Amino acid sequence: MSDILPGTKTTRMELLSLRKRKKLAERGHDLLKEKRDSLIMEFFNAIAEIKETREHVETALKDAFSSLTQAKMIMGPARVVEFAYASRVEANLNISTRLIMGVRVPVLSVEQHFPKIPYSLPDSSTKLDTMSEKFAEALKAIVRLAEIESTVKRLALEIERTKRRVSALETIVIPRLERTAQYVKLALEEREREDFYRIKMVKEQISDEL
Amino acid sequence: MVSDKIAVIGDRDTVTGFRMVGVSQSAVPKTPGQIQESLMRFFRDPSMGLILITEPLAEQIEDTILELSAAPVPVILLIPNRDGTTGTYEIVLRELIRKAVGIEINI
Repeated sequence: MSDILPGTKTTRMELLSLRKRKKLAERGHDLLKEKRDSLIMEFFNAIAEIKETREHVETALKDAFSSLTQAKMIMGPARVVEFAYASRVEANLNISTRLIMGVRVPVLSVEQHFPKIPYSLPDSSTKLDTMSEKFAEALKAIVRLAEIESTVKRLALEIERTKRRVSALETIVIPRLERTAQYVKLALEEREREDFYRIKMVKEQISDEL
Repeated sequence: MVSDKIAVIGDRDTVTGFRMVGVSQSAVPKTPGQIQESLMRFFRDPSMGLILITEPLAEQIEDTILELSAAPVPVILLIPNRDGTTGTYEIVLRELIRKAVGIEINI
């Protein structure tokens, strides 16, 4: 009895609306299941992409670090640090969003402003230029990676939510509606039988009196 | 379009490199406490869009990173330092997969 929706009246109208609600819940359940499946597919695609981009980032950074070492060897570590902190290159991150199956995922892009002369040219070596180029490239790859990773993160969140909804419908909402409909149906039938019997009794009484 | 900042937490070399290309916020923490503190500082900054942290440092505050990674913005990304990757980044991913699919899968 505890599974029956509270406040249900045992009327024919109620039975009809319960059946309608159950049908709606079942349709929602099917749709959500489909959504969950395609989200998971999307999720695994993104994971494969992460792996690829990861490798790209790793090679880019490796290159960048080796040119950093070269710059340090020619200019001295302290000077390189000095130049790095004084560098006038600017990097701004642009964040916008797009939709994948109703999930808002971020689109990141990095905007790099290279001034004509980012640092004092006579005091620096060409190695410093290569290094800054390499790091700029690595940063681009990293931003791309960040985009995919946060996409995956949001997809995972949405998958979790969808899964919870699917199982809530499956194990609670639909069975409860089913049982309530059954209860209403039984109550109606019982009342019908009572009516039938009452009519019979009345009929007997009337025929006895005659 | 919102312009956001990028921050980097790492060793001296990593920070130097990214400073060179315009990453304006940086920290070179030494102890786990300092790592945590600088991560939180960047994390609380509303104009922060992306936080880069090198893997060896991230390893020391794994739990905090896992916790903060649940938030959509800013994105926290583990990057390899000059010695190459240690594979720490996988912990974040694996946790996500476990949550989403319900089982652990090696990637």
